[in-house]
Amino acid sequence: MISFYRALKFAFQSFKRNVWLSAATILILVLTLFSVSLVGTINFIGDRAIRSVKDKVDLSVYFYPEVGEKEVQAIQARLQTLPSVKNVNYIPKEQALEEFIEKHKDDPVISETLEILDDNPLGATLVIQAKDIEKYSEILNVMSDPNYSDMIYEKDIEDYQTIIRRLTNMTDRIYQITFVISMIFIIIAILVVFNTIRITIYTHREEIGIMRLVGATNWFIRGPFILESMIYAVISTIISVGILYPILRLVSPQVTTFFEGYNLNLANYFSDHFIEILGLQLIVALVLSMISSMIAVGRHLRA
Amino acid sequence: MIKIKNVTKIYKPETVALKNCNFRIRPGEFVSIVGQSGTGKTTLARLIIAEEKPNKGSIIVGGWDISNIRSSDVPILRRQIGVVFQDFKLLPRKTVYENVAFALEVAGAAPKKIRNIVPQALKIVNLENKIDRFPNQLSGGEQQRVVIARSLVHRPKIIIADEPTGNLDSINVQEIIDLLLKINKFGTTVVLVTHNRDIVNSLKKRVITLDEGQVISDQEAGRYLL
Ligand SMILES: Nc1ncnc2c1ncn2[C@@H]1O[C@H](COP(=O)(O)OP(=O)(O)O)[C@@H](O)[C@H]1O
Ligand SMILES: [Mg+2]
Repeated sequence: MISFYRALKFAFQSFKRNVWLSAATILILVLTLFSVSLVGTINFIGDRAIRSVKDKVDLSVYFYPEVGEKEVQAIQARLQTLPSVKNVNYIPKEQALEEFIEKHKDDPVISETLEILDDNPLGATLVIQAKDIEKYSEILNVMSDPNYSDMIYEKDIEDYQTIIRRLTNMTDRIYQITFVISMIFIIIAILVVFNTIRITIYTHREEIGIMRLVGATNWFIRGPFILESMIYAVISTIISVGILYPILRLVSPQVTTFFEGYNLNLANYFSDHFIEILGLQLIVALVLSMISSMIAVGRHLRA
Repeated sequence: MIKIKNVTKIYKPETVALKNCNFRIRPGEFVSIVGQSGTGKTTLARLIIAEEKPNKGSIIVGGWDISNIRSSDVPILRRQIGVVFQDFKLLPRKTVYENVAFALEVAGAAPKKIRNIVPQALKIVNLENKIDRFPNQLSGGEQQRVVIARSLVHRPKIIIADEPTGNLDSINVQEIIDLLLKINKFGTTVVLVTHNRDIVNSLKKRVITLDEGQVISDQEAGRYLL
């Protein structure tokens, strides 16, 4: 315990003695964390956007007006037993008509036609959501059962495929670019921390020599340098999160408008998952800086 | 206390620093190791503190064979040997007191123990009234006495001093030698590496003479031969 305290004191002293070096190291670490967070955020936005588009996909099966309620509900029941189906919504004729009128109330031709017709020309509808977007073909197969063919007037899948493909392409592209950038930063950060620790070891070579001769253990000699790199990690995490939050707040409204209706609020997400984000950044920073300081210490403080 | 058996040390690629050396030093002895420059005296000292490993033979310190010591055990050995080496000076930014305390701090000693031992060590070397000075405010002899005080804090059984009087004038030299004799009187084994003829001749203690890496003479109450 007393050794830990002394190692910490030693680490802080050398941190202060090379302020500019420390500042540069922290700057690089902050940039690295920042680019890693950017990758994370983009991944998150893309994922959310695609998922919410996928949620909107459904399959509507329109029945002929003659088909009775019981028959449709039997089919509904059957569909609900399928493992690929998430839920099936039954829309009776009357509701279908109301929705139709509502949807076309600005179209005078349709409104007039509907007024001429006494009977409800529409049949019941089943709106089916699959558990997964790939499962729709399976459900369509089931509905192609020849027994059903004279009951079903039309099957219509709302086609979001192109949107999804475009979104996926776009986010994949951005993700790849930011991923490469943060990889570059990670490598630079490892090198910079390595070099900083090496220089610190060099500035303390006399102390280290004496420590070895008077019987300090290897870990006592190495500890301060690894602690120093941990101090860098902690400080840069705090700075990085401190910069990230205002920026997210700033861009959050734009992102929300851009993905309108997808319920995407970055700033809120950040506040709700603050501990996780902080923890993740800290882990990234600690792993990075400790790997490089361990290498530096291993190479320059042979036992 | 120290047994050197058939020790050969070769520095890469081909410098033979020590060749088949044999001798033993008993507890409480005061031994001078002499020889011309480059004959392997420092190498011998470095082998005894496990700063180097022998290529052949074995080195036994206090019954412990350190020829193939594990690196994690080296600190345990070092705390039993006080080291006064030419190239391990004082830390210029620390005071006398802090320099001596440093040896205890880095070994994980409790603050209470440090407050207790450091003044004692400084008293032995007669510097208890200069504890707050910085090394550049001390004479060469005083600096060397601080180094000796630092080597004493672990209460070592052995002190190895490699040319401790190298850069000192004769009055200071005598001071240092008297100090080593005083420490030897407490029962500590002292190994003094030197090429100062006058010191060796006035000591009238055991002298081991090295030449080109070999022991060429080992005499009780010896004289400087070369
Ligand atoms: N680290 C080293 N690497 C290579 N050669 C060395 C090293 N240290 C000492 N030597 C060589 O070993 C020989 C003995 O050196 P040393 O033990 O320092 O002698 P002394 O202390 O008697 O002057 C010399 O020839 C010296 O050049
Ligand atoms: Mg020498």
